[in-house]
Amino acid sequence: MEAGAAAGEFAGPQMAGFKDFYQFLAPTRVVAGRGLLDGIGFEFAKEGAKRVLIVTDEVIRDMGLVDRVASGLEDGGVEPAGVYDRVPQDSDSAAVVEAAEAGHDRGANAILAVGGGSVMDTAKAAAVIFTHGGEPREWEGYYGLPREDDGLGRPLDLAPLACIPTTAGTGSEVSFAAVIKDRDERIKFQIADFPMYPRLAMLDPESTRTLPPHIAAATGMDAMTHAIEGHVSAEWNPHASAYALQALRLIRDNLERAVTDPADEDARGNMLIAANLAIMPTASAAIGITHSLSHPCGARYDVPHGVANAINLPWVIEFNATGGEPIADRYREISQVLGLEVGGSGEQVGHALAEHVRGLVRRLGLPGRLSDVGVPEDGIPALVEGAEGDGCTLVNPREPTAEDFARLYRSAL
Amino acid sequence: MAYFRDEQEVYDHIGRLFQDLMRDQELLPKFQRANTIVQYAFRDPESCITVKMLEGEDPQVDLGPTDLTPEVTMSMDADTAHRFWLGKVNVTVALARGQMKAKGPVAKILKLVPLVKPVFPRYRAQLEAAGRSDLVQAA
Repeated sequence: MEAGAAAGEFAGPQMAGFKDFYQFLAPTRVVAGRGLLDGIGFEFAKEGAKRVLIVTDEVIRDMGLVDRVASGLEDGGVEPAGVYDRVPQDSDSAAVVEAAEAGHDRGANAILAVGGGSVMDTAKAAAVIFTHGGEPREWEGYYGLPREDDGLGRPLDLAPLACIPTTAGTGSEVSFAAVIKDRDERIKFQIADFPMYPRLAMLDPESTRTLPPHIAAATGMDAMTHAIEGHVSAEWNPHASAYALQALRLIRDNLERAVTDPADEDARGNMLIAANLAIMPTASAAIGITHSLSHPCGARYDVPHGVANAINLPWVIEFNATGGEPIADRYREISQVLGLEVGGSGEQVGHALAEHVRGLVRRLGLPGRLSDVGVPEDGIPALVEGAEGDGCTLVNPREPTAEDFARLYRSAL
Repeated sequence: MAYFRDEQEVYDHIGRLFQDLMRDQELLPKFQRANTIVQYAFRDPESCITVKMLEGEDPQVDLGPTDLTPEVTMSMDADTAHRFWLGKVNVTVALARGQMKAKGPVAKILKLVPLVKPVFPRYRAQLEAAGRSDLVQAA
């Protein structure tokens, strides 16, 4: 029997007490502060970068940020190998392959992502193709990258990868997964394995200086969703919660400021940190069905991920909070951080927290209904099928049925 | 020591369970909604079970070599598979620890996990009926 395997039956989520097992890792080196962009070469060189392909999108490039980063590479003695700037709004397989080919064609040995979640995920998947070859779909799955010892040993390293996030939400700069769209099949698929953790993440509020408020709002709600689901997931653990709860404190104090006053550098910087902390529970697979509901909305109806999460999150909170006292207690801890009422039944606690989230979504100017963002009622059966098959469903603290998913979608419609 | 002596034991027990599930008129339509071909590649002992559950087609379970082309491949020790079917493995943890590795559109298989929970007692009963309570107790 494997070390750490519990002798008894797996009886379902263990929502309190000392956990039978969890794993947590945070291998990405994070540098955070002001005026860091000019030092990207100095920092990335420490991770083995010598000749770097910059992966970005046209919007970011037009803002001049890429030129500054390229200059920062050179200042640190690292050679820019060129820029791949054709990442679409939702990263897709074609962009991943093109970026990897650009890296080879231009003699790069490392990849630097400058952009939001789509750019970073493209760069992460491109690092896989750049290093191991093949097509993105060939690497779809969990922990499937090549390893020593006939696939059982240490995973083989990828080319050095660094990320400079230009949104404060996905946390992809410190996560080990890339979500890529297959445009033919209208699905999003995931490649996830330890080597995909970027070696370096640089958090500098200068990189979000021109972030439009509606994107700051949506990505901020993505971060909030990560933090709440990370603390309440069936795979919660003390390490994950330490990150999640601190992320929530920063979101509480900075999200509205960053959206209403984009010139507030402290708020923008703190939101970069918050997003970075909020994603960390996913290292332990601590997440939940807000993501299961939102992923198909993005794949089928192009609903931005943060917007879908903002709409679905309160309904999921109300659903989960009535799933038993241990789950409600974890929402109470979140409510306490947010300064909300923590007494009463699970239903009351869940409703109060959900209403708080709905109020925040309204104040941020985000849509409150799936029908506002193009999701039709007759699309619900296909959305339910997508949500059922989403990996996040398995780790939700309360097990949803297909009927539960349909009800949640109808409620959010 | 591994629970199963050789690949034939894997087929006799886990393979038989899959064959049984593919004959279950209540469960089969639910499995076929996955609309995929999944291969379970086991180590220790080396063995392989390939299951075709495609909508509108007859199900198929191949034990060992197969002509089917899997869309999803789940790799694990045969011990892990045995413990899974006894209800003793948290799939998320097994994936995180690398005890299970999943290649391909894994979502198609993950959504079956809640469906198979009622099958756990059936596997236990099948082992006991085959006089292999030792395999139940060993896990």
